Amino acid sequence: MIAFTDIVGMDLAKQALMLLAIDPSLGGVVIPAAVGSGKSTLARAFSDILPENTPFVELPLNVTEDRLIGGVDLEATLVKGERVVQHGVLSKANEGVLYVDSLSLLDSSAVSHVMDAMSRGEVLVEREGLSEVHPSKFMLVGTYDPSDGEVRMGLLDRVGLIVPFTTQNDYRARRQILQCNIGDKDAEDTRDELRMLRGLIDAARELLPQVSMTKEQMQGLIQSALSLGVEGNRVDIFVIRAALASAALAQRTDVDEEDMKLAVKLVLVPRATRMPEPEQEEVQEEMPPEEEMPPEEPEGEDEESPADTPDSDAEEEQEETPDMIEELMMEAVETELPDNIMNISLASKKKSKSGSRGEALNNRRGRFVRSQPGEVRSGKVALIPTLISAAPWQDSRREERKRKTGRASKTALIINKEDVKVKKFRDKSGTLFIFMVDASGSMALNRMRQAKGAVAHLLQNAYVHRDQVALISFRGREAQLLLPPSQSVDRAKRELDVLPTGGGTPLASAMYLAWETAKQARTKGISQIMFVLITDGRGNIGLQASMDKDAPKASKDEIENEITGLAASVNADGIASIVIDTQMNYLSRGEAPKLAEKLGGRYFYLPNAKAEQIAEAAMSG
Amino acid sequence: MTQTASAAKKTASTKAKAGTGVKQTSGPKKARTKKKQGQAFPFTAIVGQEEMKLSLILNIIDPRIGGVLVMGHRGTGKSTTVRALAEVLPSIERVKDDVYNRKVDQFIEMEKTTKGGKSLKPEDLTIEDIPVPVVDLPLGATEDRVCGTIDIEQALTSGVKAFEPGLLAQANRGFLYIDEVNLLDDHLVDVLLDVAASGRNVVEREGISIRHPARFVLVGSGNPEEGELRPQLLDRFGLHARIITITDVERRVEIVRRRREFDDDPQAFLKKWAKEQKKLQGQILDAQKLLPQITMNDDVLTDIARLCMQLGIDGHRGELTITRTAHAFAAFKGDKEVTMDHVREISGLALRHRLRKDPLETLDPGEKIERELAKVLGEAEEV
Repeated sequence: MIAFTDIVGMDLAKQALMLLAIDPSLGGVVIPAAVGSGKSTLARAFSDILPENTPFVELPLNVTEDRLIGGVDLEATLVKGERVVQHGVLSKANEGVLYVDSLSLLDSSAVSHVMDAMSRGEVLVEREGLSEVHPSKFMLVGTYDPSDGEVRMGLLDRVGLIVPFTTQNDYRARRQILQCNIGDKDAEDTRDELRMLRGLIDAARELLPQVSMTKEQMQGLIQSALSLGVEGNRVDIFVIRAALASAALAQRTDVDEEDMKLAVKLVLVPRATRMPEPEQEEVQEEMPPEEEMPPEEPEGEDEESPADTPDSDAEEEQEETPDMIEELMMEAVETELPDNIMNISLASKKKSKSGSRGEALNNRRGRFVRSQPGEVRSGKVALIPTLISAAPWQDSRREERKRKTGRASKTALIINKEDVKVKKFRDKSGTLFIFMVDASGSMALNRMRQAKGAVAHLLQNAYVHRDQVALISFRGREAQLLLPPSQSVDRAKRELDVLPTGGGTPLASAMYLAWETAKQARTKGISQIMFVLITDGRGNIGLQASMDKDAPKASKDEIENEITGLAASVNADGIASIVIDTQMNYLSRGEAPKLAEKLGGRYFYLPNAKAEQIAEAAMSG
Repeated sequence: MTQTASAAKKTASTKAKAGTGVKQTSGPKKARTKKKQGQAFPFTAIVGQEEMKLSLILNIIDPRIGGVLVMGHRGTGKSTTVRALAEVLPSIERVKDDVYNRKVDQFIEMEKTTKGGKSLKPEDLTIEDIPVPVVDLPLGATEDRVCGTIDIEQALTSGVKAFEPGLLAQANRGFLYIDEVNLLDDHLVDVLLDVAASGRNVVEREGISIRHPARFVLVGSGNPEEGELRPQLLDRFGLHARIITITDVERRVEIVRRRREFDDDPQAFLKKWAKEQKKLQGQILDAQKLLPQITMNDDVLTDIARLCMQLGIDGHRGELTITRTAHAFAAFKGDKEVTMDHVREISGLALRHRLRKDPLETLDPGEKIERELAKVLGEAEEV
């Protein structure tokens, strides 16, 4: 195994892990990186810098609910004749590390359980007649490849440190360095280096309680969170803790600019929803810093916590106002990080899926409808019905066995094959409707309105069928995913409010994007997908032109070929489609029906379609 | 919580299916399943989020309001606040060690029907005070743990089918809290809807047939962007509190400071806030006592009805909830009569989630309610 100190590159990720080792209450580190960047190697090497015997538990992606949370250990229970509890993965990671590789592929119910354990610090086991609380305080370390999809925002919210994603162009080079490096070094060097690093971290951990920051610094960090549009108040605690841990690592008891910059990079920037506004100063003036304390403070108590706001510090560093700190931080955000950081973090937020439910493919979850006789290996044993059917026969079986073997049975319970009942599950699986709306040309506004109405209509009934809706609009040069697969009416509303219209018709780009979205949804267990294409004409922008604005203009035939190819792929993937033709001019029809044919989908001519009609067509299609 | 007794009396009965000696476990079992929860952050030390705090307090004062749904951004203290609730709740009386938290009369009534007419007298029973239960329903709970199921140990050791009550039994006369309620499995939502509507839990499975009272204040929280709530479940919640990210830097500094102070030394922090906690508890108790004496003028009732009509709210749950909530709010403020001022303060909470949901509507539900309320009041003043 490669040691922590032997890994070259990934400096920010390493720093993040060191901060986490110093202050586990930072919750965790998430490392998005491309394949081959060594992210999993680094994550597994995290143990190297933790105190000895810290549990390091890896969460497999295919974990079942009972393995995750814990439950009754069937085998032991039957042998002992009393309930034997099996601790789940979440409880085994207590006081240690829970590591998830490919975090973005973890299914949504497992994500919910991990989130729940993180917010409670314990797991509530309320299953199969069991009611227990297992402590579950762990550091979550997750790695993933963003091209597999994004991690749920709710989970990221509970993780303090998110390493900014940088495209690892030079990963081959890095791997070479890594290999050379290991070759050159002998084991003893590695051991010494590790020992040194561990010593450093131990010292930092010890120093941490004495590290403090000024009130101005604290305000500056919080203002930075506001400027970057970070949601929630939990990040404040994380960004402050990260800065304190960074100071402790440098063996200082006060926080300096570098500490704060690092904290902003690892905590705030990856959650940014907007770039800092240029007219910041005006905004600041409108909100004069009020010194009044919230009214909830109890009277007559010393409200100053010495570790947080030593007054003397505040006076000494009078020149360092929160605004100045914030400005410094924002400069750091803009200058120090690679250019693509902001784009990627913003984009990734857009891409993040919400409300996904991947139940469709898993036949061992969902509603436990009834138990039925069956083979132990063929499904999940329904313990209770099994026991019930075995219970009445115990006396007679014991006697029978005694007669046969000549001695009393030792097992508390004699279960025969015919007693075994397995669980029968029924599951609801939803459909993902991907709307592609032509926002080009003059009638675009009308189509957009129809599409919005139809999306709304489908979402109203989404809970019943567990359906999700995504919306792609296409105009100008390329298509845009306006609404990632979602069940949320709130979200749909927000994303659909402002939509530009007019320009060219990049139909191919829209189909490509829809296909990609469909493939991502499939990896999360949504098997039924339907494309709803609302258009009145043909595509006139080629895929090349959508991706590269300097590309030569594609010919009519080329565009047609692209669309035909894409349509065939979509059809081959078993994605259902409907095409809604909104062309007013009856004479120029012909493109849309052809497209429907290529997609193997249905065709509707609804020039003045009402939203409900479109929704109904989609549901019936 | 007087309503629980009367309703349960009518409906509650425990019957045993022929031949399968079903009995209930109680007493010692309870001790085993008892949980040790970590220290909760004090309710009164939570900065801001007044809407949520008020909704919870009003539900303590009058549980008939029907619970609270708290929806809002991530990391804004939703679950912290709900889990802090237990510490400011008053206590209730129950028959000692009763797994269903029943009152004496309820207990006698129920047991009468099971034990073949053998009637207990109140003198025979010991009474104990317990804190109002706050039961956490985790997302991963299985249906058998929620509703109750066969006691495996008894089945294993003695081959007897015994019923082991679930979370719904524990929550009777208390609070049932579901974090991420919008992600709850469908089948559990079905169960909850059933139980919330009838006030009792009926278990008919795997050879067991049991019914017991299960009346609780349903508290749910979640982030609307993670998914929608089933409309039927949404309608069950009396109040809908919305919470948002606090954007005032000073207050955020305060949040961080209190949180860190608590994390560093929970005991000292709790001690520091004990006085505030006591004060709030006293206020709630006073309000509970005052509640039955509170009056409401017919004019106010008319205005409420008109408001609901103009907002196009289906059914009468809106009016009912707003009336009860206004009563509880007046009691909390120490006022003996409900006025439209009280109604104005809580109308958003009681009606926000009952407006017809139109995804293309850009007006905030709160504003819409406020506007209609102004209209109603404006007309009222002219007359």
